Amino acid sequence: MAHQAHAYHMVDPSPWPLTGAVAALLMTSGLAIWFHFHSTTLMGLGMALLLLTMYQWWRDIIREGTFQGHHTPPVQKGLRYGMILFITSEVFFFLGFFWAFYHSSLAPTPELGGCWPPTGITPLDPFEVPLLNTAVLLASGVTVTWAHHSIMEGERKQAIQSLALTILLGFYFTFLQAMEYYEAPFTIADGVYGATFFVATGFHGLHVIIGSTFLAICLLRQIQYHFTSEHHFGFEAAAWYWHFVDVVWLFLYISIYWWGS
Amino acid sequence: MYYKFSGFTQKLTGSAPTAAYSPQGLRPGVPAESPAMIFATPTKVVSEAGSMVEYLGANRVPDLQRLFQTSDGIPIHLKRGVPDRLLYRTTMALTVGGALYCLVALYFAAQPRNK
Repeated sequence: MAHQAHAYHMVDPSPWPLTGAVAALLMTSGLAIWFHFHSTTLMGLGMALLLLTMYQWWRDIIREGTFQGHHTPPVQKGLRYGMILFITSEVFFFLGFFWAFYHSSLAPTPELGGCWPPTGITPLDPFEVPLLNTAVLLASGVTVTWAHHSIMEGERKQAIQSLALTILLGFYFTFLQAMEYYEAPFTIADGVYGATFFVATGFHGLHVIIGSTFLAICLLRQIQYHFTSEHHFGFEAAAWYWHFVDVVWLFLYISIYWWGS
Repeated sequence: MYYKFSGFTQKLTGSAPTAAYSPQGLRPGVPAESPAMIFATPTKVVSEAGSMVEYLGANRVPDLQRLFQTSDGIPIHLKRGVPDRLLYRTTMALTVGGALYCLVALYFAAQPRNK
């Protein structure tokens, strides 16, 4: 803005951190109320508030960056650090679940039959749908890179098409994984095998949905001319997140689906 | 009429006699007079079509930049006027109402269950 003598962004006062915090309170208390009193009202209220907060907070960031020009190079650098640190925290999140898997599978207890997969578990064939899923995510990594280059080269139509293709591949993965979940011969309650399998792949699936949503927002923004060939950090952040999701899947596939079968 | 296979798609296209497809390597003699070859008008490339062509909508970013940069002191989350205010008030109502509902629910949940 014209009145500041520095390149940093002094944000307008905003109500969204408060509404987000209250949403977290309502969701957690609502979870407890659901467990003990079978009512989902409080939790539902919390989720609605969370969605409203996310929508308005990120809408405001788009306004501040794209329409008001506050995202100068130093500000953008801060945003980059922020996204990298967030993704790093997610890496540690998944690391925990991989730790749990390897803890149980490297030294299977006598209760499991002393073997992995445990006695009575028929694991999924890693060379069927899981392999297709791997191909789908790898292909989506290619298309998102294609989208990035299209944006950098000012190719509007190609950027839109490749980004749309990336999102479609993401949806295809989610659909295939949902089918696998439905058809799986074991459940989350089937001992430590089921628990590690569904918690690790389940959280991964959630991250695929989040990543697809982020990319879909970027598609809408690209259509509305928000991105320039020099400045499109929102897209880069979405692409980083998507690559992270892809890498987590590769680790899941190698460890749980392939080695663990 | 002479033909060749086009470079990328390998489709049959018209050609000058000297560039024509001759698999046996026999160069055809240059005809006395080759008829004028008329090809269908190629489709226009978007970049040649002029500035009025748009793909999936026109660019409204400059207008939005003007709107959001008016110095009226209104904070960013209300700058668009009525729709922003509606959404903000709904969110705040849910926040305050929800927080109170939560405290009440937790108060009741904390009561001992008498057997």
